[in-house]
Amino acid sequence: MYAFAKPIELLAQSKDTDLKEDKTDQSLWGMGVDLESCIGCGKCAEACKIENNVPKEPFYFRTWVEQYTVKNDGEVKIESPNGGIGGLKQSVPTEDIFKSFMVPKLCNHCSEAPCVQACPVGATFISPDGVVLVDESYCIGCSYCIQACPYGARYMNPYTKVVDKCTFCYHRINDGLEPACVEVCPTNARIFGDLRDKKSDLVKFLQKNPTQVLKPHLNTSSRVFYNGLSSEVK
Amino acid sequence: MNKYLSKIIFRLLFSFVVFVSIFILVQRSLTPESFGKYGHYRANSIEDNKIQTSFFKGEAECASCHEDLYDLKDSDLHSEISCESCHTPKIDVTTECKEMPPVVEGNIELCALCHATNPGRLKKGVPQLDFIEHKEGKNCIECHNPHAPWELTE
Repeated sequence: MYAFAKPIELLAQSKDTDLKEDKTDQSLWGMGVDLESCIGCGKCAEACKIENNVPKEPFYFRTWVEQYTVKNDGEVKIESPNGGIGGLKQSVPTEDIFKSFMVPKLCNHCSEAPCVQACPVGATFISPDGVVLVDESYCIGCSYCIQACPYGARYMNPYTKVVDKCTFCYHRINDGLEPACVEVCPTNARIFGDLRDKKSDLVKFLQKNPTQVLKPHLNTSSRVFYNGLSSEVK
Repeated sequence: MNKYLSKIIFRLLFSFVVFVSIFILVQRSLTPESFGKYGHYRANSIEDNKIQTSFFKGEAECASCHEDLYDLKDSDLHSEISCESCHTPKIDVTTECKEMPPVVEGNIELCALCHATNPGRLKKGVPQLDFIEHKEGKNCIECHNPHAPWELTE
């Protein structure tokens, strides 16, 4: 419990060496996802596609929402029709459901990113403010990073023929705006902020809630923190 | 014998120097500008990633013209919902609000995104309705004030 009350100190013990360095003028971006608030309306996935010109076909996403349904017999069903755009609908009859919840997914912006290690040309990298970016003019489209990503957060853009992924809306956050998905979320299930700024909404969210990252056993030291994460989530 | 050896050594050294200088020249011409400034990537790419149009303008931009509607929405249950959650920007022609107003139809599909019954949304404080039961065939905004749906219009 002590560890959760002091998230920054907890992070400092982890592999996230960037947070240890004393760079007070440099932001370190991260996101919190509150699964207790997410209602699966899919507005974030829709806004992301509009803001970032993501192809409209239902298999290209920078962010998407999954509905997890645990049945009474223990079977876990994961659904994400069109990434949650248009609202998630429960297909399992109510009497069979043990529990049901929504999980928004996006790039976890790992500080030990497997995709960056896999890139043979240095076209994907971690920016000084902690965002994993793609150099579109330098990417050769080999898609090794798509295979390396344990979260499935990357896709091959069929029009530009290079890899595309969530950038935390890098053009917006540098203009003082929030990412598009955070902007439109009707229940404030996504919290965006600077991990180095102790007054930011994100640090307050981490202080209030016991948070967890996806696939912690992979030691990717990701910077997307989930509150209320169930063990069924893969 | 010695004469041959020195000739061979000279040729080896000469070709070594030539190959190394060719390698350095080729590497320099192929390495893009600003590569390696912060790490194994093109530092100018950070600036490239910042160049993009923001289609979602943020609530402050909406409130600068529509302050009355913003205050009405902000007064109660929908205060956390930003304007652009429902008024998705129309980006086909322009991002200017005046030229292409992001008008939305207050139909059941829009409200059902959040308010349709789903077991995954229980106990999250969002009222849930069976929309077939609840006034079939009517648009929501015929009875509800779109910017303050907790109020009925008539």
